[in-house]
Amino acid sequence: MIEREDLESPQDIQWCPGCGNFGILRALKQAVMELGYPKHEFFLVSGIGQSGKTPHFINLNGFHTLHGRAIPVATGAHVANTDLKVIVHGGDGDLLGEGLGHLMHAARRNVNVTCLLHNNGVYGLTKGQYSPTSPHGFVSKTSPPPTGVPMDPVNTIGVALIGGATFVARGFAGDINQLTQLIVDAIEHPGFALVEIMQPCVIFNPKWGWDFFRERVYKLEDDYDIKSRTAALEKSFEFGDRIPTGVFYKHEKTHFAQELQLPEGSLRDHTNDREEIQDIIDEMLV
Amino acid sequence: MDLSFNIGGAAGQGINTIGDLVAQVFVKNGLYTFTIKDYMSRVRGGYNFTQIRVSDEHVHAPVHSVDVIIALTKDAIVNQRERLIEGGVIIFDESLDFEECERCHLPLPLEETAEEVGGDVRMMNAAALGALLSVLKMPVSLAENALADIFGDKGDSVVEGNVKVARTMFEEVKGELAQRCDHDFSSVENAPSKDRLLVTGNQAIALGAMAANLKWISAYPMSPSTSLFEFIIQNAQRLQIGGLQTEDEIAGLNMALGASHTGARSMVTTSGGGFSLMVEAVGLAGMAEIPIVIYNAQRPGPSTGLPTRTEQGDLLFMLHSSQGEFPRIMIGPKDPLEAYYLTKNAFRLADKFQVPVMLLGDQHLAEFSMNIPRIEIEEISMERGKLAESSDDSYKRFKITEDGVSPRAFPGDEGMVVAASGNTHNEFGHISEDPDNRNAMVEKRLAKIPRILDELEEPKVYGDEKADYTLLTWGSTWGAAYEAMQRLSQDGVSINHLHFAYLYPLKTKRLNRIWNEAKKIISVEQNATSQFAKLIRMESGLSVDEEINKYDGRPMTPEWIIKELREVGVR
Repeated sequence: MIEREDLESPQDIQWCPGCGNFGILRALKQAVMELGYPKHEFFLVSGIGQSGKTPHFINLNGFHTLHGRAIPVATGAHVANTDLKVIVHGGDGDLLGEGLGHLMHAARRNVNVTCLLHNNGVYGLTKGQYSPTSPHGFVSKTSPPPTGVPMDPVNTIGVALIGGATFVARGFAGDINQLTQLIVDAIEHPGFALVEIMQPCVIFNPKWGWDFFRERVYKLEDDYDIKSRTAALEKSFEFGDRIPTGVFYKHEKTHFAQELQLPEGSLRDHTNDREEIQDIIDEMLV
Repeated sequence: MDLSFNIGGAAGQGINTIGDLVAQVFVKNGLYTFTIKDYMSRVRGGYNFTQIRVSDEHVHAPVHSVDVIIALTKDAIVNQRERLIEGGVIIFDESLDFEECERCHLPLPLEETAEEVGGDVRMMNAAALGALLSVLKMPVSLAENALADIFGDKGDSVVEGNVKVARTMFEEVKGELAQRCDHDFSSVENAPSKDRLLVTGNQAIALGAMAANLKWISAYPMSPSTSLFEFIIQNAQRLQIGGLQTEDEIAGLNMALGASHTGARSMVTTSGGGFSLMVEAVGLAGMAEIPIVIYNAQRPGPSTGLPTRTEQGDLLFMLHSSQGEFPRIMIGPKDPLEAYYLTKNAFRLADKFQVPVMLLGDQHLAEFSMNIPRIEIEEISMERGKLAESSDDSYKRFKITEDGVSPRAFPGDEGMVVAASGNTHNEFGHISEDPDNRNAMVEKRLAKIPRILDELEEPKVYGDEKADYTLLTWGSTWGAAYEAMQRLSQDGVSINHLHFAYLYPLKTKRLNRIWNEAKKIISVEQNATSQFAKLIRMESGLSVDEEINKYDGRPMTPEWIIKELREVGVR
């Protein structure tokens, strides 16, 4: 069993006081402890941004990569060792800006990774520019004054559904219990799982503060059908006075590594058959 | 015997099939062959040709002068005629409107014979082959054997049809028509070559990667690298190699880095434009010290340039690709056989030093084919470099060591926590902005360079060690330069040839010696700005005396190099 002290941050946490990321980290730790897999089987891959620092603040295998590129790196890691529970951490800028194409294709491939999308609607690390999820009219350092962001935000849940993700959910950094359960379910799901996590940036997007979300989030009703992708898609457009959380869609099908029929476990331990290569060469002899 | 054939026509007419057929026939007969494919960036139509050189001695380059033209369109005659030797043969379909025939120009019913005798217009290939053998006075049995081999899996009737067509055409040309031509190779029955493996550079690199225990490849198709990627994917199930055609080159390299970091030997294939997109991830490999083999089949740029042609224009770009400073290894194979061994070594060096290794091919190397001795797979190369042994919680992925190489563990290794970052990090892989740590990490990475140099081979000198003139080349221009050097030597010119396969870091010992001994160093490069000569000057302070450059996208021939050398005063 993994204990909380096994996951202690290897270095001082550098997030601002009041950051939504603390809640996400707590839920992640809780989920890792609940899942019961050996510690070495977890592998966190992150992009750039405050979310990208997550692997440095938890004592698990981790790789802090490039802006927007965590998903391809995670895909490679998963195919190279299918025993790993690969978990991507990225922000709204990371995964919906630079990395949107990769997100769509990973969803389409149904790669068996879990993607935790930290959504605070703003760029924090670069200090206050609008992000792909900033609402229309959002005033930031880079939105044209005085009208603010001149376009609509990305519908994260909708994008994931259209992409083909087989587990799509939304949580809130202020509801640790629900978020923990969502992360557990996402990791247990054998396919591409996206969990959008609403997460206040109290410095650069104070409008989306803790109270803002507390007043708006609600859990999807018990009679909501998580098997219907069209229902989920319809639900994905509900984002305003009320913000639904929970599992929007869940469907099981063959995941990417299975489609490729790769050897079980780690490719590191696999050796190409010498005779086969010799046969390939000999078939080319004239 | 040194014959060159030019087979030309429009895209989609089966030029490559005839080319492959002709090459196989001669390889089977114990001759050495060298084939290039010259084609336009279009799917159908236009004007393409295959040049095959056939000899009873080793051949390494295309040549300018042509002995035989096989033409499927009028363009194929018109465009190549000035290259045809005096008394050269032109074999073409009688339906082509070409009337300025000389003694050995043969309008023949190729299409009609294919249709009437074989029942399939596609058998024109066999018709042309039959005519060719007849003109050269070689036995028709050569075609029969080759056709049986090539079309064997399509069934007996296809083989029989093709053989009948070839034989009919052979008989038709035999006698009066064949006597018009001077060629007579009836004596070349059992030529000396035992080299039966007919491969391109791309195929050889793929085989080298397989023998190096490649386990993951991710790529985006881009000419002329694509055939390598396809070859591996086609054999992926047999060897259980994982591979994916990604959404773009950015994903390609990042995915390969994820796989490599997790323990699978990985590579990407691309050409310059695709490499441009990968550059950011090259830096990630540098910072996170992830072994990776990056193959760039160069083509003329900038931008999309000439998609199906050749150039060595990306050397300095690859050398300087990505921000910041970190070690990398650059290797440029000269031909398929060398490409096989250098690729194996590329993977070994990548693992040993935990750095990106760049294989610089080009369209010429990627696509020319020649017959080489059967490659024997002796063992699968599994030398992984320094691996971590102890399994306690304090594993340091980036432990400072004297040689700059830290013992590797992989995410998933029991008892280990493996952390890594593209940010400057401490020994544990966690972000650090401490200035002393920053210095130590930069120095750790750069400490690899002298060790890498110890592992690389010196450049090779061909010809006399001491000569007045030295040709300086790298990569695929070796063949034309080597033959030019040989021909000039035979003419009494004091000339040798210094060739680099390992391009960076640069070995300078032999380089310095040659520079001291030669009166004139002449760089020969398939680019406009002599990039390798610049690299040498940057690394050693030594300058070349003359620069010969080709950048029209077509590969060099020995004749072209000799002409250029004469112009710079080589006598």
